[in-house]
Amino acid sequence: MNGGEADGNIPHGALLANFAEAVVSGDPAELRDVRTGIVNTLGAEALVDSAAVVGLFNAIDRVADAIGIPLEDWKAESTTDMREAIGVTAFPSGRG
Amino acid sequence: MPATWYVNAPFPVREDIRQAHAAAWDRIARPGTWLTGAQRVAIAAETRHARTACALCKARKEALSPSSVDGAHDTKSDLPAAQVEAIHRIATDPGRLTESWQNGLGLDESVYVETVGVIAQLTAIDTFASGLGEPWRTLPEPVSGEPTRRVTPGAKHGLAWVATLDPADAEGEDEGLYPSGRPPANIRRAMSLVPNEVRGFFNLVEVQYLPGPAMNDFDNEYRAITHAQIELLAGRVSAINQCAY
Repeated sequence: MNGGEADGNIPHGALLANFAEAVVSGDPAELRDVRTGIVNTLGAEALVDSAAVVGLFNAIDRVADAIGIPLEDWKAESTTDMREAIGVTAFPSGRG
Repeated sequence: MPATWYVNAPFPVREDIRQAHAAAWDRIARPGTWLTGAQRVAIAAETRHARTACALCKARKEALSPSSVDGAHDTKSDLPAAQVEAIHRIATDPGRLTESWQNGLGLDESVYVETVGVIAQLTAIDTFASGLGEPWRTLPEPVSGEPTRRVTPGAKHGLAWVATLDPADAEGEDEGLYPSGRPPANIRRAMSLVPNEVRGFFNLVEVQYLPGPAMNDFDNEYRAITHAQIELLAGRVSAINQCAY
């Protein structure tokens, strides 16, 4: 899956997914382009808020995986279809 | 203290983020519960080094299995080898960590959890800066002093790879660690063996994501992006990191 296909029917979803991908993968040229795209489309405040969310979840993933916490039962049940669809259950941390 | 944070950033940064990041930097520099300020700053430096300069981490990341690649980490600290291994793997390949790997480190559980806490706060701040096109901020000078060495009474094994504090056991100094009126998400319990790491990290959660009451208030928006856009970003990051939580 790449960010361009993963808009989830959410306004500007593909652009935001591409931003997440560019920040986490650290591609400077791609990041420059998509950063400009967000500012031009959603505004500078949206860029700051998007960077904040990406930064936080890049950290939360490390906490979750380093501590080995399980997904809450209610979350697992309510997101079964979505997790299957995006392949999360194939991840090492998703097999428990 | 936050006066110098993001003053030259190309985009205006919210005051609550500036405050929270300045406070996190201060926490990293000061003695913690089990680690000195010098050890905490060394963990932060080692985290950055792992991301940018460790050939072993790069080779392991590209391998089908990280355990198939032998070698030594390129390190820039005097931290114990087990702690260096923990830092490098958490920083560069968190999606393939296992309970047997964590147990095999032989690190004291509380030291391990505090190490995770420092890595997490640094990661949240550095990744935010990268998103804005800002350089990573120079690490703080360590503050001298001794860790509190406060044991967390009531922490038990069962939920995760390390002991955690059940809400029912959060008493005394730990009362108020969790929100009242609803069970905490497991991510909030994750680092509860060292409660100050929970408090510090969730100070960042409130400003970089949403405050607790706003998370499920879908009738109102609190940021320049919607709840749905926030969740899309969060989900995409977790998919990239191969994190199932």
